[in-house]
Amino acid sequence: MHMADALVAPAVAATMYVCSGGVAGFSVKKVRLESDPKKIPVMGVMGAFVFAAQMINFTIPGTGSSGHLCGGMMLTALLGPYAAFLTMIGVLLIQCLLFADGGLLALGCNIWNMAFYGCFLGYFLFWRPMMKKGMSRGKIVGASILGCVVTLQLGAFSVALETLASGITDLPFSVFVATMQPIHLVIGLVEGLITAAVLLFVYEARPEMLSCSEERAKSRFSFKKTIAILGIAALVIGGAVSLAASSNPDGLEWSMERLTGSTELENDGTGAHAAAEEIQEKTALLPDYGFKNSDSTFGTSFSGIAGSAVVLIVCVGACYAFRFFKKKKS
Amino acid sequence: MNKLGNALYEIHHMDMLAAKDQWVNRLHPLVKLVLTIVFLTVTMSFQKYDLTGLLRMGIYPIVLFIVGEISFCDSIRRLRIVLPLVCFVGLFNPIFDRQVIGYIGTVPLTAGMLSMVTLMIKGIYSVLAAYLLIATTSIEKICYALRLLHIPAILVTQVLLTYRYVTVLLEEANRMTQAYSLRAPNQKGVHFKVWGTLAGQLLLRSMDRANEVYESMTLRGYRGEFYYTAKEPCKAKDWLYLGVWLALFAVLKVTG
Amino acid sequence: MSHIHINFEHVNYSYEKTVPILQDITFTAHENDSIGLIGANGVGKSTLLKLLVGLNPDYEGSIRVEEMPVVKEMLPKVREKIGYVFQDSDSQLFMSTVFEDVAFAPRNYGLPEEEVEKRVNHALKQIHIEHLRDKQIYKMSGGEKKMASIATILAMTPDIILMDEPSIALDPRNRRSLIHILNDFEHLKIIASHDLDMILETCSRVILMSGGCIVCDGDAKEILTNQELLEENGLELPFCLQKPVW
Repeated sequence: MHMADALVAPAVAATMYVCSGGVAGFSVKKVRLESDPKKIPVMGVMGAFVFAAQMINFTIPGTGSSGHLCGGMMLTALLGPYAAFLTMIGVLLIQCLLFADGGLLALGCNIWNMAFYGCFLGYFLFWRPMMKKGMSRGKIVGASILGCVVTLQLGAFSVALETLASGITDLPFSVFVATMQPIHLVIGLVEGLITAAVLLFVYEARPEMLSCSEERAKSRFSFKKTIAILGIAALVIGGAVSLAASSNPDGLEWSMERLTGSTELENDGTGAHAAAEEIQEKTALLPDYGFKNSDSTFGTSFSGIAGSAVVLIVCVGACYAFRFFKKKKS
Repeated sequence: MNKLGNALYEIHHMDMLAAKDQWVNRLHPLVKLVLTIVFLTVTMSFQKYDLTGLLRMGIYPIVLFIVGEISFCDSIRRLRIVLPLVCFVGLFNPIFDRQVIGYIGTVPLTAGMLSMVTLMIKGIYSVLAAYLLIATTSIEKICYALRLLHIPAILVTQVLLTYRYVTVLLEEANRMTQAYSLRAPNQKGVHFKVWGTLAGQLLLRSMDRANEVYESMTLRGYRGEFYYTAKEPCKAKDWLYLGVWLALFAVLKVTG
Repeated sequence: MSHIHINFEHVNYSYEKTVPILQDITFTAHENDSIGLIGANGVGKSTLLKLLVGLNPDYEGSIRVEEMPVVKEMLPKVREKIGYVFQDSDSQLFMSTVFEDVAFAPRNYGLPEEEVEKRVNHALKQIHIEHLRDKQIYKMSGGEKKMASIATILAMTPDIILMDEPSIALDPRNRRSLIHILNDFEHLKIIASHDLDMILETCSRVILMSGGCIVCDGDAKEILTNQELLEENGLELPFCLQKPVW
């Protein structure tokens, strides 16, 4: 689930860049500390593997559709969370540049939604605790499915949150979430199964490749610490995002409006139609909200559009002239 | 199944575009990267009803398409990935935001319609801007620009290596799935019984390759550090290009 | 006697101490030797080459390159002297362009950038691929990649080159130019290959291996014309010496 540029306000994008950047900086430090020169080529090639493997269609039994591999969870089981996180950044950057999957501005969000949850939560909440007392087939399947489902749920929720904070859509938050979460539950299950299948294969063929808990457990931080750090991170992000939203002209106030509007709705409303009506009432009650000086805006719009069109046409002409003379010269 | 082949084609195609010897391609990668990000930031910061301002920002992609002699049609195909989510989110705006702001003939024009249109324009602009960057700048050059921005070497190296092996592994995955589908003619994808084996085989091969790459590196004196060299400095014309656009964006933003 | 030489003395090697791969390998190679390493699939040719550059540690016996033992502490020094061409060029070429890849080794050895540039250009010139200098590696053909791989090790100015199946996946013309390049290299070279015709044209000495042991070590023409010996060890006469069947 890639976040699109159009759905994030610059302030939200910047906040998420800072968060993802912080984790990336920390991971770079960690990987450097491991000082294993082999790690870099392994990360590079594994990044390419995830890239390629995500394009293989795996048929879901009983349906006509197909699922894909979950990169974050798989990498974290193979490389450990830090290297996996950096690898995912590489994959996401290339996906965004080459295939327009996500966007440059939303990259920070995407790194957070997909790489951070998948690599760090997947590792510290599921993979490591479950593998602590030795691996088994069942545990690998369990950890993969749980990891994928939970991290995807969080990722989808974050997409909804980031969209909300950006104040870009009138879609009520609850409706957005209610659509996103179940879809991603299914996707998470399928991805989890595929990831489990691949990890099981590795476990049978070359168990030493899976990142083993014993050797890592000693120096890494504990579960409690992880939770604490995550809590702080959540607070920081929450704070930053709401700050960002409030600096946005129709930001927080607007979102709250919508949020409360729609939560009320969940209590008494029945379905999307009711929701729409309710919202319309709301807007009618608050005529000055959101669309200040609507008449004048609309009035200036037409002249504005006409003016812009003229400028654009002149500009296009100039460009063609530039190209023409450039050609002539060479 | 053809996804892999398409991806390969796309990579080669983008690379061919980036390798063209043209005015825009020769500009300093850092300038182009910074401009793209500034353009995106400015575009996304327009309010959701500010259609005029947004339309005027279109000057940047239009100029680049013409000056860079880049085919507009090719870039349209890339919209298919981003637009579904944007549309999903945007389509609800007319439903929830029904305040009438004017009439075209007798058809009422609502604020929701306006915000839906701006959202879609934003989506299109962002895809075009990224396309214009990558169609005129190779990944290596972008990585070089990232190094100039002090992104840690480990990360940049990792991006370069991933990019280097993406094509190798895509081809490998393509061969594997082709071999599979030749013997399983009536299946659309990979049957769940071989999920693990197929992707797992690819994984093991990738790991072996990573080992060999590592060996090849150490045999040539690698000890954990990649060395990059400063290539080209920013020239006057790069600064000028950057300056003109930044000024224009500022004017468009302030007056818009 | 010149300083360039390799000594193997009673070398044994096994994977995980259980499966023996090489048994009692003893030979000496000198400057200007060109040695063809031949044998059926899986007799340990590649393993032997990898032992020489320290990619397979934990062997028994003694391996010395220019009087330096191949042990962990000496590896950087040993590897400076040896250029190793992998069978799979894609693994060998990991940078984005030919220039970057060829420059990788000189940069790692701390040469100043002008010198690096000079080395790269010289290496490319030696094998006539100056035109590929700035080409992206993934866009090159198998033959071009192989040539670029060879350039990457020539830029290290090695005393010794080792090649693992260099002529595989080359078209006839590229194979021909490979043979010229090999013959132009004056120092010590060891080539592991099934392409016995190429061995015949490039090597003066042949080491025939079977089941992890050296079966025969001697003059190339003598061994490569001995049909009985070759067939006993899973090989055939070079094509140029076979009688046409039609």
